[in-house]
Amino acid sequence: MNVKIGMLSYAHMHAYSYAACLKQIADASSVGVELVGIADDNPVRGQEAASQFDTRFFLSAETLLEQKLDGIIICAENARHRPLTEMAAPRTPHILCEKPIATTLADAQAMIDVCATHGTKLQIAFPVRFSPPVQQLKAILDEGTLGRIYSVKTTNHGRMPGGWFVDQALAGGGAVIDHSVHVIDLLRWFWNTEITEVYAEVGHSLLHPDLGIDDAGLLSFKLAIGAYGTLDTSWSRPESYPTWGDVRLEVLGERGIVRVDAFNQNLALYSDQTGKGQWVHWGSNPDLSLIQDFVDMIATGREPFITGYDGLKALEVALAAYRSAERGEPVSLPL
Amino acid sequence: MRRVGIVGAGLIGTWHAARWKQLPVELVGFYDIVPEMATEAVAKFGGRLFDSLDDLLAAVDVMDVCSPTPHHNMPVLAAAAAGKDIVCEKPLARRPGEAKEMIAACQAAGVRLFVAQVVRFFRQFSQAKAVLDSGALGRPGFIRTVRGGASPLSPPLVGTKGESRRAWFADFEQSGGVIMDVSIHDLDFARWCFGDVERVFARGLTFAGVEPYDHALITLRFKNGAIGHVEGSWAYPPGRFRTRFEIAGDQGLLEFDSLAPAPLTMILRSDESPQAPGIPRPHSPLSPRDDPYFLELAHFLNCLESGDAFLVSPQDGLEAVTLSLATIESIRIGRPVYLEEFEESLV
Repeated sequence: MNVKIGMLSYAHMHAYSYAACLKQIADASSVGVELVGIADDNPVRGQEAASQFDTRFFLSAETLLEQKLDGIIICAENARHRPLTEMAAPRTPHILCEKPIATTLADAQAMIDVCATHGTKLQIAFPVRFSPPVQQLKAILDEGTLGRIYSVKTTNHGRMPGGWFVDQALAGGGAVIDHSVHVIDLLRWFWNTEITEVYAEVGHSLLHPDLGIDDAGLLSFKLAIGAYGTLDTSWSRPESYPTWGDVRLEVLGERGIVRVDAFNQNLALYSDQTGKGQWVHWGSNPDLSLIQDFVDMIATGREPFITGYDGLKALEVALAAYRSAERGEPVSLPL
Repeated sequence: MRRVGIVGAGLIGTWHAARWKQLPVELVGFYDIVPEMATEAVAKFGGRLFDSLDDLLAAVDVMDVCSPTPHHNMPVLAAAAAGKDIVCEKPLARRPGEAKEMIAACQAAGVRLFVAQVVRFFRQFSQAKAVLDSGALGRPGFIRTVRGGASPLSPPLVGTKGESRRAWFADFEQSGGVIMDVSIHDLDFARWCFGDVERVFARGLTFAGVEPYDHALITLRFKNGAIGHVEGSWAYPPGRFRTRFEIAGDQGLLEFDSLAPAPLTMILRSDESPQAPGIPRPHSPLSPRDDPYFLELAHFLNCLESGDAFLVSPQDGLEAVTLSLATIESIRIGRPVYLEEFEESLV
């Protein structure tokens, strides 16, 4: 089988990683994979990407969607996930949508509904589920090694990405919506549970003067399994930091503790050419596993590992965090 | 689908078997001079128990030689004579003369010979080579490596299951000690990074009469002027095996230490579990596709299909043996050994 994939928009930089992964799978896999083309409302960016990944550039999303694709990867601005999903769902049987699923719960529900109407499978891109250290933690938790879970202390730090990520209308928020969804998705997946209450402190222009949007967030939450925890979603890594950020998880239970620093398999590189220390990741690339999983889903006809509903529930916690910060009190979930 | 047979069902043989099971080959079975070991491997990985090397050879397309070092030569020569492609565990041989004989036999028979210098397939090391090749370090100048742990025959390993199977490691005549068994990985990696070695000077415990401990501090000068330091140890106290390297150029430095904080650490409160309470247990997991033994065997198969050269040439395997032996010679005579002169002296 030859799996034909298209890509809608390179607004989110993960698109470049996903395209590189598609190429890697095409080179290595027995299942044929073809990156049929790229459509982007920024034609310069789209054409450059098409040339970089040796594929076609399409001037309109509609024309790309007419290419009898098996799947489409949407890496547009958060607020444009819904219109592009509504355009793609009737024409393409499989959609991989970048996180967060959308900027409002109404948009997220509309995306889930339109995919259900057309029998299109919708997967949300939460690559951290595929990180081997995170998967090992999941296995330890599944075995019940820690006994009753008391708390989970987490961070998903990053650099301030700029561009549309700091535009309220396109991104739906700043650091909190950008980063909380990854870890919230992991917690829901670890214990097949939900967040029942969120309290949040949100900082606007706290680490980046005049940014005009939230760049720091600290969520304190309760889980339905009876545990509590915190999540630091801040864009608190400066340009001089040796890597993009982190995903750190500390699970404390009645029998012990597991500490995960998911991307801490690095060489330390100090090069006068960049003038700063850098970490070179030698661990396994979770993006590659995410894209392989999407291709396998198409090839085998199975259901998505990460659903639109998973995307919606993670978004709901981020939105609840903003609401809590506005009100200065804990917010109960579901909203 | 190619049929693969394994000679030598010890540690490496079973590690390879587990990876062959994940690759598009048929693992036909095992031959071992200790039949119980082959029987155990068959129980675990399937395939047949073979009574002789010839029987195994007759049933395979690829021979994977995982026997102890002094027993690489004979099965490789037999496989070449039978026209089979070959994976040979490192070191290629105990002595350069044997290695040359094996390479010549494979060439004459037109079969492919892959020397399993697996460190080149560890992602830490392959990424380091990629960074070096990217030019981010500038002109290479210095490489330092560490590889070591407790002796394979020191307490508490003595008396454990498999002790007798490991006994050959402690016999210098058979294994070549820590230099030929352990440091050869880093000598090969250093050659991969910096090119051929001009001279080697080394000090160590190899002839100090402190068996089963062995240890070496190796000084290298490369033909391009760069300097190398390689430490190999079977003399550390019991504990975690350690690998470490740094590569310095005129514009940068690259560092790795296997004892750096791991991406996953578990500490358990009680002794309800088999592990001691309060002792951190570090883990550094990878996707199965990034496992170095999987990568090296997948690379071998891909090169058979494509006809491409192996990342480790038979000559690289020979050079690693020669450099290891020159290192041992330097310890013995207390003087630097020049590789070209040393090679001539072997002829």
